[in-house]
Amino acid sequence: MGVLRSVKGNEDDEERLVRRVAKGDRASFDELYRRTSPWLIVRLRRRCSDEQIVAEVMQETYLAVWRAAGSFAGAAAGGSAVGWMWTIASRRLVDAFRRRAHHAELPAAVLVETVAPAAEEEALAGAVGDAVGSALRELAPELRQVLQSMVLDGLSVRETAVLLGLPEGTVKTRARRARIAMREVLS
Amino acid sequence: MSETHASAQLIDRYVGGDTAIPGDELWALEAHLENCPVCRGRLAEIVAEQTPDVTSMLSGIWSELEPLAVSTPAPVRRRRWVATWASPTLVPWLGMTALVMGLALLVDWADSTAGRPSLVQLLAPVAPLLGVAVSWARGLDPAYELTSATPRAGLYLVLRRTMAVLAVVIPLLLLVGWAAETSVALSLLPCLAFTSATLALGGVIGVSRAAIVLASAWVVLVVGPVLAGSMIPLVLDPAGLPLWGAAFVLGVVTVGARSGAYTRLGSHR
Amino acid sequence: MKGDEHVIRAVNAAEVAPTTYAWEIRADGLRVKAGRRMAVDGVDLSLGAGVHGLLGPNGAGKTTLIRALATVLRPAGGELELLGASVGGRTEQRRLRRQIGYLPQDFGFYKRFTVREFIEYMAWLKEVSKKDIPAAVQRAIERIGLADRADDRMKTLSGGMIRRAGIAQAIVNDPQILLLDEPTAGLDPAQRLRFRELLRELGSDTCVVVSTHLVEDVAVACTDVMLMGEGKLVFRGTPAELEAAGGAGDAGDSPIERGYTALLARQQPDRGSW
Repeated sequence: MGVLRSVKGNEDDEERLVRRVAKGDRASFDELYRRTSPWLIVRLRRRCSDEQIVAEVMQETYLAVWRAAGSFAGAAAGGSAVGWMWTIASRRLVDAFRRRAHHAELPAAVLVETVAPAAEEEALAGAVGDAVGSALRELAPELRQVLQSMVLDGLSVRETAVLLGLPEGTVKTRARRARIAMREVLS
Repeated sequence: MSETHASAQLIDRYVGGDTAIPGDELWALEAHLENCPVCRGRLAEIVAEQTPDVTSMLSGIWSELEPLAVSTPAPVRRRRWVATWASPTLVPWLGMTALVMGLALLVDWADSTAGRPSLVQLLAPVAPLLGVAVSWARGLDPAYELTSATPRAGLYLVLRRTMAVLAVVIPLLLLVGWAAETSVALSLLPCLAFTSATLALGGVIGVSRAAIVLASAWVVLVVGPVLAGSMIPLVLDPAGLPLWGAAFVLGVVTVGARSGAYTRLGSHR
Repeated sequence: MKGDEHVIRAVNAAEVAPTTYAWEIRADGLRVKAGRRMAVDGVDLSLGAGVHGLLGPNGAGKTTLIRALATVLRPAGGELELLGASVGGRTEQRRLRRQIGYLPQDFGFYKRFTVREFIEYMAWLKEVSKKDIPAAVQRAIERIGLADRADDRMKTLSGGMIRRAGIAQAIVNDPQILLLDEPTAGLDPAQRLRFRELLRELGSDTCVVVSTHLVEDVAVACTDVMLMGEGKLVFRGTPAELEAAGGAGDAGDSPIERGYTALLARQQPDRGSW
């Protein structure tokens, strides 16, 4: 299962930048950082409240981008540069959590949310498709969290378990319950 | 919905760490941001304006990052896709095969007594065996144990590598045969039969040993007597082709049946 | 419903099905032959996530045991289950091997390959999906600290670096079972320290088996230790328990070495000093 997406962005710029980075172009690397780092850091901060870990992961990600830009340019024809960067960043985040003996506190925010959206957000909510949207909204927060980790962030069960600080069995159970709940709404 | 972007207010709340954004909107927003440079640009502006602590984090990260990004990154490399077909240690041995066949060719040219069987034609059936032996030989492949422990190890990989060997050796044989003015077409089926027999026997006693055994048997039992007696035996006669065909099929069936042998270290050392 | 693949992925039922096994590695009376000798003679194991050290003198059967766990040798007797699947049939083995990472003791490599090319080749052999290979390889290279030598040919590397490249190929497919046979051979003390950190990181959600004769490595990095002698498991417990088994009268320069000698002597009382 997944989320219906109908927006296609114009992405040549980031891909072109990455190709130039692959040739060693420092200016393009600078530009890539300028353009993508705000997005990446905000997304990471919403998954980890420890600023030191976030800074570490950001640095490792961009360093990996610098070193491996050639591989991306060669391999992911038609893939999104930004998507590729998120793949790197999410795995680095999981590795950072593994390195710590105890897990950094997740923002407690993730588990708390109101139910009724503001009226002007309806337009974007429509992008999700009303049925799926309302199903997601009504999903219990801990189930949605697992689903987000696996589906939106693209992590495996083991990686999700490390990131959320849960046993693997719990992750699997919650994922199953989420799927069942979504399927009930969609059918 | 292709023109709809996220509202500035939603991005604002997202950047600000607002915990009250409903689940589906948050999901849609993050999915959208991954695809929309326009909204990412908006987000960057909002970060610059509204959250100075994030901005300073970003510049701090950059100042530490920049000196590390010194050595040139890896260039877009030619992929070693050839390695996925041929065993990485194959090339010198193919050269050896070519050398042997070339020498046979020279012998044929040098000694053109009429009626004498062509050395090229006699050696052609066992020509691929060197390459096959090397492709799956414990002693010659340094990463043998590593390779045999992987999921892709097994019949599929063996066949892939064998095909790579045949893809080089068969054209070589055709070329040499044309130059020696003998018909090597007759030798192609024996070639395949020997190859499959080597793999089948190799599953039992090790591929390199099997190749040595079969090649020696051929030389001793056929090539030697033929050169000494100067007569063409049945095995190279066109009438013998069905026998070769049967041998080939038998070899293939045996290889298929014992495919597990190629995924393990044999207990033979 | 599905959308752009790079944003979302489908979660299939098999991935979230409940785990059917209690232990990643389970063996019951395992017997494995090496040549004509029964090198592993009745070993019982139940190993889960964590770092498990495997100690023992040369010829005790450690390498044979690890090879059996890597499904490279077929057991001669007893039961062996990896990730809940019994080791035996063909297709099961292929799926199973995708979850295993293995570094053999005599680790061979292709000299003309660069580090990156070699690890990419191994990733291909391990059936890592093609589009994931470059990122997975980069991650493995960075985790073992070879990022600045990644594009040099392997024949230009020192012994310790080659060993590290071997560890990298073992972790490139993010395995659930990691089998390392003498991974620290050739590493200098600083590198061994980094390696132990990596082991701890991996042990948080992976079942790692490290076979080594360097007792100190085991003492620090492992959650539990197994001591093998003459094909059997002589001891299974924490490093602290191993230390406690030794006394002042036993040979050894550290408490854990004394424990090691004491337990081996008990098993093989007439064993000479070599």
